[in-house]
Amino acid sequence: MGYKLQVTSDKHKILAHLHICSLIFLLSAFLLFCSSTSFAQIKAGTGIISGDFSFNAMLYIQDTIIGAQQVDSKVRGNAWLNLNYTNGGFSSGARYEFYLFPLIDFQNIGYRGQGITHFFADYKNDFIQVTGGYYYEQFGQGLTFRAYEDRNLGIDNSLLGGRVKVNPYKGIQLKGIWGIERHNFNFNYSQRNDNVRGLDAEIALADFISKLENKGITLTMGGSFVSRFEKAEDKMFDIYIDTSKYFYYYNYHAISDFTATDKPNVIRCQGVIPSENIPQNVASWATRLNFGVKRFRLEGEFTSKINDPNLSNDYIYKKGEALLLTASYSMKGLGISASFLRADNMDFRSQRNASPAFAALTMNYIPAINRQYSYQLLGNYSYASQPSGQIGLQGQINYLIPKKTKVGGKYGTEITLNYARFNDIRKSFVPLSDTIGTITGTEGYTSKFFGFGKNLLYQDIGFDISRRFNKYWKLMLMYNYINYNMSLQGKNGILKGNHVGFELTYKIKDIHALRVENQFLFIPRKIDLEDKDKGSWCFLLVEYSIAPKWFVTVSDQWHFGNEKQLHYPNAAVAFVNNTTRISLNFGKTRAGILCVGGVCRTVPASYGLGLSITTTF
Amino acid sequence: MKNTLLFLLTFCILTFCIAQEKAKATLPAVDIKTLDGKTFNTRNIQNEGKPILISLWATWCKPCVAELNAIGDVYDEWREETGVVLYAISIDDTRTSAKVAPFVNGKGWEYIVLQDINGDLKRAMNVVDVPFLCLLNGKREIVWQHTSYAPGSEKEVFELVKKVAKEEESNN
Repeated sequence: MGYKLQVTSDKHKILAHLHICSLIFLLSAFLLFCSSTSFAQIKAGTGIISGDFSFNAMLYIQDTIIGAQQVDSKVRGNAWLNLNYTNGGFSSGARYEFYLFPLIDFQNIGYRGQGITHFFADYKNDFIQVTGGYYYEQFGQGLTFRAYEDRNLGIDNSLLGGRVKVNPYKGIQLKGIWGIERHNFNFNYSQRNDNVRGLDAEIALADFISKLENKGITLTMGGSFVSRFEKAEDKMFDIYIDTSKYFYYYNYHAISDFTATDKPNVIRCQGVIPSENIPQNVASWATRLNFGVKRFRLEGEFTSKINDPNLSNDYIYKKGEALLLTASYSMKGLGISASFLRADNMDFRSQRNASPAFAALTMNYIPAINRQYSYQLLGNYSYASQPSGQIGLQGQINYLIPKKTKVGGKYGTEITLNYARFNDIRKSFVPLSDTIGTITGTEGYTSKFFGFGKNLLYQDIGFDISRRFNKYWKLMLMYNYINYNMSLQGKNGILKGNHVGFELTYKIKDIHALRVENQFLFIPRKIDLEDKDKGSWCFLLVEYSIAPKWFVTVSDQWHFGNEKQLHYPNAAVAFVNNTTRISLNFGKTRAGILCVGGVCRTVPASYGLGLSITTTF
Repeated sequence: MKNTLLFLLTFCILTFCIAQEKAKATLPAVDIKTLDGKTFNTRNIQNEGKPILISLWATWCKPCVAELNAIGDVYDEWREETGVVLYAISIDDTRTSAKVAPFVNGKGWEYIVLQDINGDLKRAMNVVDVPFLCLLNGKREIVWQHTSYAPGSEKEVFELVKKVAKEEESNN
């Protein structure tokens, strides 16, 4: 045993050593590359090579007060190098990702490894496009299929396989895809038992019916079909049943064994859902519409998925469905939009046992539709989309009080009003589940399509007003009231808060500007939350910029309403030269969630020195 | 892993050897969408031999909106003097893509607005973060690219646009 431990620790040392070497190596390789290209595109033969590089590293410091844990390697970093070659209609490319000692939040979601994670060759002309290798694709609004990448969240759902796009006639586009979905850094594709195939067609009707175009009507329609194959295996189960309530359980499943327990009437049942009862092919289809007449527009997509027992739905056989509808009316100076979203059992992944806690292996995209705030204090209470069950709506008005009027001022005044609400869906569990004590293996539940569930998940109402007074001063004021169900972060209680703030920009000289942001999030003390979530917050940021190259920022988040009165100070310097951005920051980050596009992941509290380099060449 | 790193180094050195002659890339030809939901290929981005600005932005990106607002204030002057056209290409995904048109109208912007909903153009242009501004000359060659926005940087952009416009004039 002792010997084994010795080996592990040696291995660890070697790895740590290797890791610092690799980081240095990677950086120097990149610098060599940059010096060779001088940030200009390169001509290779008659083609052109271009690419991008990003490197984010952090030196972690332990801070028990904010909960920043000691991490096993203090220096961690993510690096990514993309190279593309284009020659007329032909293009190809490859990406190298180095996440062997990734930033701690990437480590936590299992996005860890290194290698050539992406390569492709692509040919296209006016009629056809053919792609082989890894590719990204979206059908319609993505409710049934979306392969995409977001490196800030550690999401890469690209498919490895082939794709064909055909434009047989003006206004018509057809797509066909086949592939195996990327799963973080697991490259054992030969051992994979799953794949994805799909077809999509879209037609722009206004291109065919000139009458429509003359009347100012635009109409685009589309439909898609996606199927996932995964070899079925027997699903074992091991559950405890109260025989006084759920006597009939024995009759339902193939129980191989049951044993008595300490508690009266409770028995332990072990058994198997045989593989022939688990669908290997799961089909999903979607239909969509984009209709516009003059200032009015309606955009929507509906999707449905056949029985797909999987980990996210407790292995039930119910169908899944989702609808996203947005109507809008807009003219110069005014935009009004209203959206509706319902998703029920639409967590669609290429493996049925994939954990719903992570974004990996997701095949579709059910977005959150609430307004995406860039305000620091609300960032931690961003709504995370619930593909398994949510119903919600959002309305927004953007209005510009005209320029050169008394009320609007010389430059006009912008006003945005916004409301959003999400609830869970109403479920009536099937009687059989009551009889047998579990929904696993049954139809699960029924749910009324437009029924809002009892539990509020998220709500916000607010406005902001932004006005430029003259060449030098610009002011923005904002107010929001939010309700956020802490169950979205696995906690109890509903947070209620008033968010007020302002942002002032002062252009000192031509290219020198000062920006001050001050926000408060008032959370009443009487709300029942976990201790560390209790109490109000304050955020202050001061940024001085010299356009277009320099940014210096200092900020602090202060949890002043909490007993602990924690501060999260930060200081950052950024230098930008055309497409290269280098930034250095030092400070503390609070534990919370990071969301982009309604897809979120948790971020642990951290403290340390960060370096980020990104460039496009 | 060593192999991969070696591969990378070789690639860099090879590139260095090939990179004797520098050329200007043109805008990649990628299918994106118009606000009407129609497919639009970026090779159709044209401005009759005059300069073109391409801005990649998103409704949720504050500096992007600040930049487009700032250019919006002087856009008429820019157009008169140089004939430049700005294509504001939103990278908003399905979450906000249907709200781009009302958002743009609410701002009163005069730009041509297109949508890159799944980031296909963003990737083809190797863009890491938005805002990303790119200047094309009359031949649609990329002559300048820039990321991030600080108040006042539109001044530099205008100087560059004027320079390109002048070059195009003397070429004709």
